[in-house]
Amino acid sequence: MNGVAPRDGVAPEVAGAGSWRANAFALGAVAARWLLGGLFVYTGLEKAADPVAFLKLVRQYDLVQSAYLLNAIAGALPWFEVFCGLLLVTGVAVRGAAAALVGVLIPFTAVVWHRALVLQAARGIPFCAVKFNCGCGTGEVFICGKLLENFALVLLGVWLIAGCGRKWSWRYSVIPPAAGK
Amino acid sequence: MAVAGAAFAFAANELSPRGLDLARNYFPSGAGSSVARPNASAPAPVTTATNENSAAAEIDQRVRDKGLQPLDRLQTERLFHDPRYDDGLIVFVDARGEDDYHDGHIPGAYELDPFHPDKDMANVLAPCQIAVQVVVYCTGGDCEDADSAALLLRDAGISREKLFVYGGGFTDWTDHHLPVARGERNSPAAPAQTK
Repeated sequence: MNGVAPRDGVAPEVAGAGSWRANAFALGAVAARWLLGGLFVYTGLEKAADPVAFLKLVRQYDLVQSAYLLNAIAGALPWFEVFCGLLLVTGVAVRGAAAALVGVLIPFTAVVWHRALVLQAARGIPFCAVKFNCGCGTGEVFICGKLLENFALVLLGVWLIAGCGRKWSWRYSVIPPAAGK
Repeated sequence: MAVAGAAFAFAANELSPRGLDLARNYFPSGAGSSVARPNASAPAPVTTATNENSAAAEIDQRVRDKGLQPLDRLQTERLFHDPRYDDGLIVFVDARGEDDYHDGHIPGAYELDPFHPDKDMANVLAPCQIAVQVVVYCTGGDCEDADSAALLLRDAGISREKLFVYGGGFTDWTDHHLPVARGERNSPAAPAQTK
């Protein structure tokens, strides 16, 4: 035998390329975790800084009849986003936090979409020309851009739920995995 | 995760100085306890005279539906120039919130943020009790904060008969280059804002 034997049956140069790819993938997942987490911390704090303005925007969606439920949504949702965003940024309970944010994103994207359709019908303009403050923490936005942004965020969230973003996480799983797994 | 997040969220809302009071109805309908809500298909800002008239009629109807009395700009202007205004028998109340109030308000108007009434109610209530007419305004148009402030005053004991809502609001007032004061109440009246 001459030279170095291949490790795990993989030629050294191929193993190096795979490792580079794996590292890039892991770093990408960390960037996704920080991006998603940071964005939710920012938008959550924007809403929490002026809960009355957010309350008025949530009311536009006509989601609930009860004043208590409306207040609960407007008062708690921004802080819920901040909480989950902080978990993602620090890397604590990553899959659960990502799942919670995706669970918030999907229904809210649906109601934003519905509201845009109502505004489109009332204003008689093309769908993508509809611009309004959706209560997303970023002021007035064009609906098509917002829907694309939310779709991308849901994809990032699903990627994290799938088990990525473990690198540089403080405590990836709060509940330790069962022995033997 | 959801339970921990919800617990954190409700605790943060409770501890935040700007947090919402969950038990309060911030949008009283004037009749029931459910949340009054705006027209979900509210059209884009109107520009033609016909549309303006139609929008004004909608606002008037909304105000009437809450058991309040609407005022148009000319009526509001007449009350503003009425000598009784200087005597405190006609009182104006600005319901737009502190920052907007300081940026500009109708001269002599009192501040009453319907979302944080504890801050202002004590200052506003006594003059409103003395007054024979109380005119409440906010930004105008879709803004219903004037309605909410008027209903708060009604609930605090101000007679419904002397409560009026200026539906056009501050936007309509400044659009017609009427006097505006900035800063605290009774600051010198500044020239009308120009667009």
